[in-house]
Amino acid sequence: MAVKFFGQFLVEQGVVNRDALLQAVDLQEQTNLKFGEMVVDMKLMTIAEVERVNLAQRSEDLQFGDMAVKLGIITAAQVQQVLTTQRNNHLYIGEALIKVGALSPEQLQKNLQAFKQDQQPYLATTIEIPSGIPHQPMWEMVADLTYKMLTRVAKIPFRPGLCTLVDKLPERPIAAGLSFSGAVNARYLMAVTENIRNQIAKAILDEESVDDEPLEVLDDAVREFINIVCGNVAAKAAQLGFTLEIDPPETYSQGTTGMDIPQDWVGLVFPLHSFAGESFELVVLIANA
Amino acid sequence: MKKVLIVDDSIAVARQLEKIINSAQEFEVIGQGRNGAEAIKLCQQLQPDILCMDMNMPLMDGMTALRSLRQLFPELKVIMVTSLGGVGDKYTEALKLGARDVISKPFEAESVLKMLKQL
Repeated sequence: MAVKFFGQFLVEQGVVNRDALLQAVDLQEQTNLKFGEMVVDMKLMTIAEVERVNLAQRSEDLQFGDMAVKLGIITAAQVQQVLTTQRNNHLYIGEALIKVGALSPEQLQKNLQAFKQDQQPYLATTIEIPSGIPHQPMWEMVADLTYKMLTRVAKIPFRPGLCTLVDKLPERPIAAGLSFSGAVNARYLMAVTENIRNQIAKAILDEESVDDEPLEVLDDAVREFINIVCGNVAAKAAQLGFTLEIDPPETYSQGTTGMDIPQDWVGLVFPLHSFAGESFELVVLIANA
Repeated sequence: MKKVLIVDDSIAVARQLEKIINSAQEFEVIGQGRNGAEAIKLCQQLQPDILCMDMNMPLMDGMTALRSLRQLFPELKVIMVTSLGGVGDKYTEALKLGARDVISKPFEAESVLKMLKQL
């Protein structure tokens, strides 16, 4: 069971087939114009002006609308007008499936309810992030999904501590991490003890004991665990309208020992305390924060 | 009996999948690879009926391999196994490239076997 998007859920349930889904996705792609396409469609900008904005975005990290305002091509009010039109005209996958004749309105309502129920375990709980950190909802979601997956996938009962901003990382002998890019530039780290690593491996490998497993397999299990968490984070981010790419995970042979927070980055630590009395951490390093 | 090849950079996931797939009489896992390039090489060597392949792998990712595999082995049935299955764009891209289905991680044995039996 994982974070899903509605189309995937419908295919898995056998409500629609993959060809119908792809037809509906094609229709969405034709209907849901990107900001740059929408401004041309609304005759607020020319194609040459769109290209000028795209070019300027290569040297400065600004969203299309903000850059167009900065360059004096459109006004902030017009940006809002475009965003409203985008929102009002947005064709959701369920509606697209109705339009291509793959789903009836009654089936849509019934399956939306079933989908909400299926995704209930992944509804967010509130986690407090220190003030001043950008993209707070993103880090709340990262921590929330990590907590849920620790319980459901790694089967480790634990109690989360308060998230803090740190100058120095806590030292743990084992750590695995991966990078996020796209909507945010950050690094996700899971810093654990040997015992917690073994518990994760037991759950991932579905084995009673991992005493005879080579180190390579135990480390791999932790990498896979964070890969599952972060893949589901990317899925949740997509539901919220953000594109998040993840790199394949890696293991740090020294754990977090001697690991520094890069200059201009910030470190958030989410302490985790297992019911067996061990402490370990989720760490998020955020670039240019 | 259908021959299944598993390609995943995670030894743990490949082992878990192998255990699930071999538990069904109609399937036999004939090999494992760790990246997209190995998937192509092993498909040439072992001629599997079904390929279960991860999306996000080092050296050559699953999507890149899928593009080549569709041309080299049009009859091969490919299932993508990924933690990114819930990302709509990734899911539909895999289907557009010719994958028969996408298994999201974490997965359950039942849903993996159900999907394979439906191929």
